[in-house]
Amino acid sequence: MSAQRTALTNPSVASAPRLTRAAEHWIGSFVAMACPCEVLIEECTSEPTALAIVHSVARCAWSIEQRYSRYRNDNIIHRINTANGAPTEVDDESANLLDFAARLTDLSEGAFDVTSGVLRKVWIFDGGDRIPTADQIDGLRNLIGWDKVVWRRPVLKMKPQMQIDLGGIGKEYAVDRAVEIANTLVPGVSCLINFGGDIAVRTPRSDGKPWVVGIESIERPNEPYRSVALRSGAIATSGDSRRFLLKDGKRYSHVLDARTGRPVPDAPHSVTVQANTCIEAGTFSTLALLHGIEAEPFLRDQGVRFWLQ
Amino acid sequence: MQRTRGALVIMVFALSGCANLGVEPWERDVLARPEMSLDSNPVDAALDDHIYFSKEASSGGRGFGGGGCGCN
Amino acid sequence: MRLQLIDDTTMNDERNNPKNIGAALTAASCALLGTAVAAKAEAQELHRWFFDTALLYYGESDDRVQDLSATIGATRDFGDERSLGLTLTADTLTGASASGAIALDRPQTFTSPSGNAFYTTAAGEVPLDDTFLDTRFALNVNWSQPLGRLYNVSGGVGFSTEYDYTHLGVNLGLSRDFDKRNTTLSVGLAYSQDDIDPVGGAPLPLSQMLDVGIQSNKLSTDSKDVIDLLFGVTQVLGRSTVMRVNYSYSQSSGYLNDPYKILSVVDPVTGDTITRVPTVGLSGPDGVYLYESRPDSRAKQSLFSEVKHSFAGPVLHVSYRFMTDDWSIDSHTLETRFRWPVGSSNFIEPQLRFYTQSEAEFYRSSLVSGRALPEFASADFRLGQFDATTIGIKFGHRTAGGGEWSTRLEYYQQSGDVPEEQIIGNQSGREQYPDLSAVILQFAYRFKLQ
Repeated sequence: MSAQRTALTNPSVASAPRLTRAAEHWIGSFVAMACPCEVLIEECTSEPTALAIVHSVARCAWSIEQRYSRYRNDNIIHRINTANGAPTEVDDESANLLDFAARLTDLSEGAFDVTSGVLRKVWIFDGGDRIPTADQIDGLRNLIGWDKVVWRRPVLKMKPQMQIDLGGIGKEYAVDRAVEIANTLVPGVSCLINFGGDIAVRTPRSDGKPWVVGIESIERPNEPYRSVALRSGAIATSGDSRRFLLKDGKRYSHVLDARTGRPVPDAPHSVTVQANTCIEAGTFSTLALLHGIEAEPFLRDQGVRFWLQ
Repeated sequence: MQRTRGALVIMVFALSGCANLGVEPWERDVLARPEMSLDSNPVDAALDDHIYFSKEASSGGRGFGGGGCGCN
Repeated sequence: MRLQLIDDTTMNDERNNPKNIGAALTAASCALLGTAVAAKAEAQELHRWFFDTALLYYGESDDRVQDLSATIGATRDFGDERSLGLTLTADTLTGASASGAIALDRPQTFTSPSGNAFYTTAAGEVPLDDTFLDTRFALNVNWSQPLGRLYNVSGGVGFSTEYDYTHLGVNLGLSRDFDKRNTTLSVGLAYSQDDIDPVGGAPLPLSQMLDVGIQSNKLSTDSKDVIDLLFGVTQVLGRSTVMRVNYSYSQSSGYLNDPYKILSVVDPVTGDTITRVPTVGLSGPDGVYLYESRPDSRAKQSLFSEVKHSFAGPVLHVSYRFMTDDWSIDSHTLETRFRWPVGSSNFIEPQLRFYTQSEAEFYRSSLVSGRALPEFASADFRLGQFDATTIGIKFGHRTAGGGEWSTRLEYYQQSGDVPEEQIIGNQSGREQYPDLSAVILQFAYRFKLQ
């Protein structure tokens, strides 16, 4: 739900990662999951090592995108979504992601659901004013709901035309995987992974300074709304700054409640959360959006640091 | 008036041989808390310095000697 | 489907909140990412402006000095550890302070510092000069920035003005980090130039207090300058302990007298102040009083050390300072604070301070008539031997927006002694050294802005 994924990016045509030198660190950059991705590596690293880190991180991001994008026809998501009622056996990593998704559905009392992606057929969040009719929405509701899925690890079986979309957790998962790969490759070297604004750091910098992370203002993009000194941990943002519908002066957030098939009313535009891992930060921010006007009390109860816009 | 004083060396601070002192960058969680900063309360410290400067014969030590006041 | 709870082995209050899904989510994340992958999140929000404001009341008992002071400190953070600090302080001082003259069994009359009025002190009381009223403004500007990766430089200017005093100071500092920033060495240099323009003029040292209206023993202005040198070591001792040791040297030269302090000239047998009759037609002192005379230079050295230790929440701060100077004053200061968190947003901090100093070698409670005048003499009690204790408590509350309110209440008590051999005749039955007690009350608010 929070992944800023609107178009297919084919890893084979994506340009190679670039490495540049900043005042106190290396910056590796590439594109994956339709967003700009960055790896910041502290300066004590040699250029070949920095380049090796960036390539490994990019390969990790592209590989996760390749395996879990719903826009491809050569991956497990495609096989599940086109099984047409037949059971599908999935690999371990996919099973772990499905277990995690099921847990989130549980924790959100059904508001978050990886089967709710079919709603995108009728809700087109392009800033326009096409609001689906109640009939259109209700027509899809029998295709939505994890309770309609039979999941007995490693076998998944669901009704024909039901679809699974791991977009709501994929990018944050990729960030956590990437930070782990960098850490395995060069233990003790601080790397900041930034995939389209979802960020994680495992090892603090050896110079004792924090990484300074700007949280973008949604009213004035490219201007920091807040700055955070991050030594370790993760920050993730969910929001609808660019994806919404406007009808009769009412703003429809792109955050859809799987139980109603409709946008959550009065959701904040943007929720940024800090947590130990990116997947936790991303989950907190997504669940906060699903709480609508209750986002702030929800986050307070979690005892996490957050920023609402 | 020029009495020499040996008492200055109250604390011998050995800089060498402190290989075991200190922490790694990722162990700075406690030290990073604002109340652990040695200068966590500059205004309190300045006000205290000002009061004691005007009431006692000693001043400074933590930083420069206070002063800048006709009160002593 | 219901909200899944909570690993009940966690003791954290927040985790025991039934709406808290943190533990469940952490468990799910661990299952997804593999075990023990997470570094503990450690981050803090950066702000561009910090404000530190305080209002302080200082009040001595028996209608002596009262001071009300307001401070506003603002720090602008320009990123990359570059910052500009501004501090503005205004304070108003009223009330009386001890003049240095001894108490007598008869009332005493003095010419006030302005030279155009007089005041009297009742029999048996330590003479206080109650004509003090002063307002002081001070402004400090400071800049700090890194120089390369391991050095930090800072520089500042300070200015303050009051009715009879102007101060102008500059300071420079340089520090360097060693050993993964566990050790920091610093040096500092400060210079200040102060101009003194006392009410009624600066009296000539050891000149006699004259009748009202006669100013022949007073010069208009004088000045002093002070050079301070400071060497410091800050050392991280462990994950929750940090210490600092500073050595500082301070050299003052110029006019170092307090222009309002006097000494009584006493009879060698009775110890009473020699009487004097004002010129006919004028009012004036009814005893012989001489203005104090201090050396025109003073070199101070001090060794200051402090340790801060966190006991997983409570923070203990202990500092000790030894100071010695070439006026033969030695002092020891021991200060301790213990910050005790109460709940997640409050703290209570008891504070305790002990101070003791020996007297300056030229300190004397009075001058003896008929004996040769010493070159230097002062009866200023602040140059005498005394002990002082401060006991206080501070309460602080952190607001949701990251600001902090605090209130501090302290009690300060000085008690001193005049050296036995300086007490002559009748003096022994009287109060020699006016003990001082004061209450300090402070309200402070600090907050951050983007």
